Amino acid sequence: MSEVLIKVEGVSKKFSKKLKTSLYYGLKDVFGSVLGLQPSAELRKNEFWAISDVSFEVKRGECLGLIGHNGAGKSTLLKMLNGLIKPDKGQITMHGKIGALIELGAGFNPILTGRENVYNNAAILGFTKNEIDKKFDSIVEFAEIGEFLDMPVQNYSSGMKVRLGFAVAAQMEPDILLIDEVLAVGDIGFHVKCLNRIAELLPKTAIIFVSHSMPQVTRICTNGILMNRGKILLNTINIGELISHYYALFETDNESIIGSGKATLESFNLSAYSRIENGICIYEQNNLEINAKIKVIPSIKRFAIHAIIVDTETKPVAIASSLSSDIILENKNGSHTVNLSIPLIFSDGKYSMYFTLVEVLDKNRIGDTMVSHRGIGKFIVNKKTYPTAIGIQLPCEWSFN
Amino acid sequence: MEVKVYRSSNKYSLIQVLKDSFKGYKNSFYLAKQLAKRDLSALYRQSLLGFLWAFIPIIMNAAVWIFLQSTGTVRLSETAVPYALYVVIGTTIWSIFSDSFTMLINDLTVNKAVITKINFDKEALILLGFFKLLFNSGVKMLLIIFLLIYFKISISFSIVYFLPLLVLSMLLFVSLGMLLVPVGMLYQDIGKGIPLLMQLLMYLTPVVYNIPKEGLMKNIMECNPFTYLLVEIRNTLTGFQVEHFTVIGLILISTLLLFTFASIIYRVSMPIITERMSA
Repeated sequence: MSEVLIKVEGVSKKFSKKLKTSLYYGLKDVFGSVLGLQPSAELRKNEFWAISDVSFEVKRGECLGLIGHNGAGKSTLLKMLNGLIKPDKGQITMHGKIGALIELGAGFNPILTGRENVYNNAAILGFTKNEIDKKFDSIVEFAEIGEFLDMPVQNYSSGMKVRLGFAVAAQMEPDILLIDEVLAVGDIGFHVKCLNRIAELLPKTAIIFVSHSMPQVTRICTNGILMNRGKILLNTINIGELISHYYALFETDNESIIGSGKATLESFNLSAYSRIENGICIYEQNNLEINAKIKVIPSIKRFAIHAIIVDTETKPVAIASSLSSDIILENKNGSHTVNLSIPLIFSDGKYSMYFTLVEVLDKNRIGDTMVSHRGIGKFIVNKKTYPTAIGIQLPCEWSFN
Repeated sequence: MEVKVYRSSNKYSLIQVLKDSFKGYKNSFYLAKQLAKRDLSALYRQSLLGFLWAFIPIIMNAAVWIFLQSTGTVRLSETAVPYALYVVIGTTIWSIFSDSFTMLINDLTVNKAVITKINFDKEALILLGFFKLLFNSGVKMLLIIFLLIYFKISISFSIVYFLPLLVLSMLLFVSLGMLLVPVGMLYQDIGKGIPLLMQLLMYLTPVVYNIPKEGLMKNIMECNPFTYLLVEIRNTLTGFQVEHFTVIGLILISTLLLFTFASIIYRVSMPIITERMSA
């Protein structure tokens, strides 16, 4: 099937930076629209283009991943697609029934029970009483809240609330589905369930999926758009390329250096990469080769080296320590060159390193951190690994009977 | 398959907007009923005195005037029914007027999160207002019924006009409230101003005292369309006849026109208000 269900042509939207002017323009726009005056397409004082000249299409059976940093204009675009606000320029054409997973549990009243709120939420999403009655059992089953169904929602955990909200929304069978970051909450089990449900809907639906979770984007999107400051930077069916551009956009923190200062890092280089983009090494095959020159003051007798690999959320995913290879370096002349080769077993994504030198005392006790460089050696892995949020993919020997 | 086109043009056909608006009302009965049930059950579940809160403000206000009158602090002209009944009916009906006026702006404010995130027919919120008004009015009427029995007032045939007149008044005030929505949702001044305005208007309407026989106040009250609604509603409840059919007829026609006009403005301005609410 190749029907185009969503067609966005040259859409722009302006916002005001100041509340006062925003309200005043709002008032003017209300009168203008009631009187049927043609609105001006130009920027007024204090205004800027929150969305600028965006065009794309989504066909039935396609899932478009819409990614970009906060403030890129994703949510505003979604609001226009959902018909909540009108574009200032351009045109959006939507074919078929639209469903939106933008706010889970809309219309919940905290005082009322889960059972009552299922009806409130479903009514807002456009279900009729009959439909809800019919689907009620599957909603409860999907939400897995069992015995708490008749407890006030204010006593629910946030995960339970989201589960119940998603369970109701999951009953929709739209032609177009807009999803905005609703899967940012809840536990893994719930995520899997949600993604499965979305995958189930996909063949019959055109989906727009806004997310900050690249593993989720890789998992369900058939193509994607990268937005930055209201503009489309990249529109591609190559999700891997999309994601590496997304990571490259990150303005990663500058390096920081901590430690007692008894050692210094003279130089630090990565090699064996496939290419460099925006100053970041991209690895598609090969091992991660590190070459570092260090200086250690003479009073230090012995020391060890750690290289810790951290992901974009600064979560450590792996450590390469000389100690785990039973290596303790002797400080003889104060200058050392270190070569380290790390197998490229990481999932696709962006990483950086903590490169740390620690003093080793008598009886192999660990002493002071002499120097630790954090956020150096940034690299991107792009070897089309199986998409997952898990940092390391072990190369294993498999056998089957 | 249904096709929706969103673009910036402000050109719209009145007929189309009216049709959409009508469809909006028609399609949102269930949603409005459900939300009314939600709001009312939440309200009463979280309160010890429950229904009593519907009466307390009325009783307070009425008690003040009964005290002022019985102690001779203010000298009021003789009313056709016992003064206590007169005041309670007056303040009850006036509080229904007042609620009708503010209902929509309040509901929009409370449901902001939903409005800015979910696309549903916003007419549902007007119906929601109506349902809640009808329910609350029903509760408030209990006090009046009790007093009618207590004072042994015999009602007449004119009671059949009571409900139509009450609904007409609600529609009039809801329409006025709707007209204020575009400004009221942007600037909070409107929401703050309405209760003050209603308090002032109350004294220009025969709520707690009769229309004077002569003087400036008589002229003001006779020019005030709300006077006729209030007086006639009180008449239907206390066994008197409806007198000003012509005026009521005129109010009915203007109200219907006003409601149609307000529905158009409401539908056309809602996307813009949504945008500024979320901004």
